[in-house]
Amino acid sequence: MNKPLVGLIAGAILGIVDGATAWFTPAVRSEMTGILMGSCVKGMVIGILCGLIARKVHSTAVGLGVGAGFGLLFAYLVASMPQPDGQHYYLQIMLPGFVLGAITGFLTQRMGTAPARA
Amino acid sequence: MSFLPDRALDHLRQVTESPDFSATRYQVEEEIGRGGMGIVYRAWDSRLERRVALKVMDSGFAINQEAKLLAQLEHPGLAPVYDAGSLPDGRVYYAMRLIEGRRLDDFLRQESSLPARLRIFEKICEAVAFAHNHGVIHCDLKPQNIMVGQFGEVFVVDWGVARAIDDAAMPTAGTPPYMAPEQSRSREQPLDARTDVFALGRILQDLMPPSPPRPLAAIARKASAPDPAGRFGDVRQLAADISLFLDGLPVTAYRDTVPERLARFWRHNQVLLLLLSAYLAVKLILFFLAPALK
Amino acid sequence: MPYDSDTAMGGPHRPFPTTRHSLIDCAAGTGTLAREALESIASVYWKPAYKHVRIQWKRSNEEAKDLVQGFFAALIEQHILASFDPSKARFRTFLKACLDHFVMKLDESANRLKRGGGVTTVFDFDAAERELAGSPSVEDVFLREWQRQMFALGLQDLRELCHTHGKPLHYRIFEQYDMADAGRPSYADLAAQHHIPVTGVTNYLAWARRELRRLVLLRLRSVTSGDPECQAEMHVLFRKMT
Repeated sequence: MNKPLVGLIAGAILGIVDGATAWFTPAVRSEMTGILMGSCVKGMVIGILCGLIARKVHSTAVGLGVGAGFGLLFAYLVASMPQPDGQHYYLQIMLPGFVLGAITGFLTQRMGTAPARA
Repeated sequence: MSFLPDRALDHLRQVTESPDFSATRYQVEEEIGRGGMGIVYRAWDSRLERRVALKVMDSGFAINQEAKLLAQLEHPGLAPVYDAGSLPDGRVYYAMRLIEGRRLDDFLRQESSLPARLRIFEKICEAVAFAHNHGVIHCDLKPQNIMVGQFGEVFVVDWGVARAIDDAAMPTAGTPPYMAPEQSRSREQPLDARTDVFALGRILQDLMPPSPPRPLAAIARKASAPDPAGRFGDVRQLAADISLFLDGLPVTAYRDTVPERLARFWRHNQVLLLLLSAYLAVKLILFFLAPALK
Repeated sequence: MPYDSDTAMGGPHRPFPTTRHSLIDCAAGTGTLAREALESIASVYWKPAYKHVRIQWKRSNEEAKDLVQGFFAALIEQHILASFDPSKARFRTFLKACLDHFVMKLDESANRLKRGGGVTTVFDFDAAERELAGSPSVEDVFLREWQRQMFALGLQDLRELCHTHGKPLHYRIFEQYDMADAGRPSYADLAAQHHIPVTGVTNYLAWARRELRRLVLLRLRSVTSGDPECQAEMHVLFRKMT
């Protein structure tokens, strides 16, 4: 399995798990389906990006940094959209997104096969 | 019969033992070792202009078993044989690569790192497994018969009592405590690769620190089990377990306790577990802080 | 007379067991052959035994003479060698243990030892006593004397061989060079003295040393139980004593 594919799968799973935790916020429970789908897609995008970088750069520290960075960025983009109740949940979205991005970056570094060097 | 003084006796002993290579291309420089089956000298090969090791064996050996055996086994861990012949007094010799290095027992006195020692042990297993693959068992493996080169290369030497696996006419030679119990029983059963596994188990015990990790102690115990049926089936299995140990993975010779399994899982997945813990912590904190954040 | 290695050791007049049939096997039996085999064993071991009793057991020279002669007599009369088991020990070790046991068990006041006891080998105890001056340490005396006696007998055999095969010059040169007490002559000096080329000196010495080795090993083979013991004893025989 190549690294972008690992990133895709890991990002999707982590995204769904992260999206599911929104259930503990009663204000957004009504939007669970959208949250789950959005979180899943976000995770997949982050995973693919981390996987592509992991093909070129073999470093756990770089994977963690890049993953955390992408996680923070995409979480910001999601958090900057107002929620149905008109609130912005920057902290609640960006902080977990940051950590999950780091996890995705770590997994793409450790798992999957890099292309053979010429 | 006149008295033979000590000085004269020592001189006679020396001149009668020194091999006469004057009719060959070799010039003996000094004795560098002696074992049960012969004496090894450092010598100069005047034809190829290089140093070689000459092993001289007594005239009782009609067939130069050891030389023929080594000539047929080509492996980086076995010194290649260059030449063989006989001396005017009937003794036989063969010339082989001169190994510059330390005996394993000397190496162990100077190298205390367990991973480094185990990597050397893996190389020993490779050479022995190669010989087994070609139907030959060493029968006298011990630290004195293993040389470690200056770059960590390993040579298994002194194949003087080596024989074919399952040879019914097995000798009972060997060196306690590295000699398998079946070796000292006179020819009740042919010997096989597990005889060398026993010796390797004893060597592994020499490599280990006084309080070794339990999996490693279990590997050594299994390898040197008194009953051949209780040992590893061959050297490859022993080497595989050592490799697993070095990688921090479970070994076949030892069943981890639950705490040991958890500890291993923690060691192998520290970063991931920390990240997941961080995620859970963040989620919990945000959950409890949610009213304050509104 | 053609040179036959199998019978040369005892001289052409004395029948001698072949190298494949060790003296020990013969000596453990009975009859004339057994007696002669024991004589040959005694010729190798009497001096080490005497010096061992003198130094290790701290007996006087008279006591040691009695004990050694009594011991070899007992070997014949009590067929002690029949109990030798080569799988348990080397013959040299076995014999030394028997000697120690013999000395320990014997109550000198209760048993008068027979002198001679049927062994005709000449035990030159006076010469052995003279040699004791400046002897090595207690621990190795039996082993050292065994080494010495093996080579001494080998030299005797070499001298006989050279004499019977018309090679007196070989022995003479060997004696002058390899047996020199102090200050060996040079090859050139020996060549000049004997009117032969230097290469002749080299060749004669090489021959003599080769033959000495062969004769010593022949003796060794006859007092060991087989090839494995012979191989092991060879290393001991040629080992430098510190």
